[in-house]
Amino acid sequence: MFKQVRSITRRCSMVGMAAAILGGVSAGGITGASAADPVRVAFGDIATVETLNFLIALERAKARGVDVQVTFFKSEDVAAQAVVGGQADIGVGTPYALLQKVKAPIRMFFQMSTLRFYPIVNTEYYKSWKDLDGQEVAVHSRGSGTEAIMKLMAQRNGITYSNISYIPGSEVRAGALLQGNVKASIVDAAGHRMLMEKAPGKFTVLPVEGVNATDEALYANTEFLAKNAASIDILVEELLKTWREINAKPASIAELRKQYNLLADLPADLEPEVVPYYEESVAAATFPSNGGSEVSVKDDFAFYALAGQLQGDPASLQVTDFWTFEPLNRALGKLGRQ
Amino acid sequence: MEARFDGTAGVSRVPAIADAEPGHGGSLLWWRLASIALLCGAWEVAGRIPINLAFPPFSDRIAAFWEMLSDGSLVKAYFSTLQPLVIGVLASAVIGVSAGIAMGLRKSVEWVGAPAFIVLQAAPVAALIPMITFVYGIGLTAKTLAVCILALPVIALNSYKAVSNVNPSLVAMCRSFLGSGPQQIWKIIIPDASPVIFAGLRLGISAGFVGVILAELLITPTGVGDLITYHRSVANYAHMYAVIASIIVFSAMTLAVLQRVETTLFRPEKRGE
Repeated sequence: MFKQVRSITRRCSMVGMAAAILGGVSAGGITGASAADPVRVAFGDIATVETLNFLIALERAKARGVDVQVTFFKSEDVAAQAVVGGQADIGVGTPYALLQKVKAPIRMFFQMSTLRFYPIVNTEYYKSWKDLDGQEVAVHSRGSGTEAIMKLMAQRNGITYSNISYIPGSEVRAGALLQGNVKASIVDAAGHRMLMEKAPGKFTVLPVEGVNATDEALYANTEFLAKNAASIDILVEELLKTWREINAKPASIAELRKQYNLLADLPADLEPEVVPYYEESVAAATFPSNGGSEVSVKDDFAFYALAGQLQGDPASLQVTDFWTFEPLNRALGKLGRQ
Repeated sequence: MEARFDGTAGVSRVPAIADAEPGHGGSLLWWRLASIALLCGAWEVAGRIPINLAFPPFSDRIAAFWEMLSDGSLVKAYFSTLQPLVIGVLASAVIGVSAGIAMGLRKSVEWVGAPAFIVLQAAPVAALIPMITFVYGIGLTAKTLAVCILALPVIALNSYKAVSNVNPSLVAMCRSFLGSGPQQIWKIIIPDASPVIFAGLRLGISAGFVGVILAELLITPTGVGDLITYHRSVANYAHMYAVIASIIVFSAMTLAVLQRVETTLFRPEKRGE
């Protein structure tokens, strides 16, 4: 009998603990939702050469009195959760699916970059999009931008793949291409450069036209944007200035990196890659000089609907459900459009 | 290792409380069901408040679960996940039990093998997975190895402890009846050690589930790991939570079945309870 009482007591206390945990989560979620000073930025990746321009803009915003704290997360999804949960104020990514399905009071407010990926094939087997008809291709993950680009190009070229395999990490896919485990894939600028350097003539890039969807944008809670308009304005102004400076002179990235002492632990063999990456990206119009527009958002709708991130007819989606252009318009009013 | 030993003993002690008073088995079942219902109810309330915009109510997860079950995506995912899991657990069971018994029987094998398994058991496996991908790539081999790295040390160390703690009176009895070496192993040591070996197998399977999901989340998204990753990336949180809950239930049910098999085959004193 005692045993059973003890057993029941133990079960009750476990249930109580579960309730307490749920209650604790609830309390944490509510209290954590309030906006706070400093401005907490959630970045869904580690700091790399590709994020240097963003880091420079943040340094400049700091110099103007905005206390910015950046946290680097494992993925964009986790960073988005931090913003939804109130543990971060500004996120970096394209949370279209999150905004549409969860209906979080979050809006994107600055387009940082457009998608630039390189569909690459092993020339021993394929030379054009038509050659990929009935063949297997490797992309980052289901619902990713890389998958959407490959699907879009298949649609445009009237071909179908036998299978789409998922290999996360552009560097992993580049390595697999190099080793011959994968014959057709899509990689980023760094992966593309590495393949061209290590195996010249072995791979070719298939043409991609008319893909200008957002790769990374800044987003934040609408309440935070309203309450911290002054800080956001400074941040957006500095982003625009930095983007325009780099677009005008990509090589300036090296000087700016030294000036702000960014990525100080960058391996020496990666240093020569900094300027070529920005020259290549600027040539491909990766960094918008005006921070995005309603037209670019409509491009995003079409692209991310194809990627499976957005549901419904892209033409029926409202820009204001996903973006707010108030901070950007204020900054453009001050700095002018290009 | 002793702590693990106590832990495994603790696992088998839980049903013993209920079994001591068979008349109360029914009420215990109701307590269990009430506990589950309370958790589901709290989940539903937390989702409806909501405590977080990305935390859907329990009912949404049930709907998502049926949707994935009916469109076949869940079954397909489990089929994919079970491949490295089954291969990895079977390999770990054969190698782990053999190695554990050998370590328990021979000091020389113990000297060579035990430290390796102890180090493997203590290692943070998620940190080792990138290393596996560098050596074995991103295919089935890498995922199977991830399962083995988690399951093998638990199984081997439990078997080793089980054999080295066999009742010496039984071994002495075997000798006094002029039992040969093989007879001593097959008729005395292994049967006496089997409950703890089986407990190790249960823990190994449980670790195998952890390994396969880790591999599917960290190596390439396939099977259940792919469903979790995909639904998270497209903000289908009800689906994501439904998949996570399903793998937990599946893992728990697998362990319960194994416990039943163990009772039927090796624990005659518990049969019929």
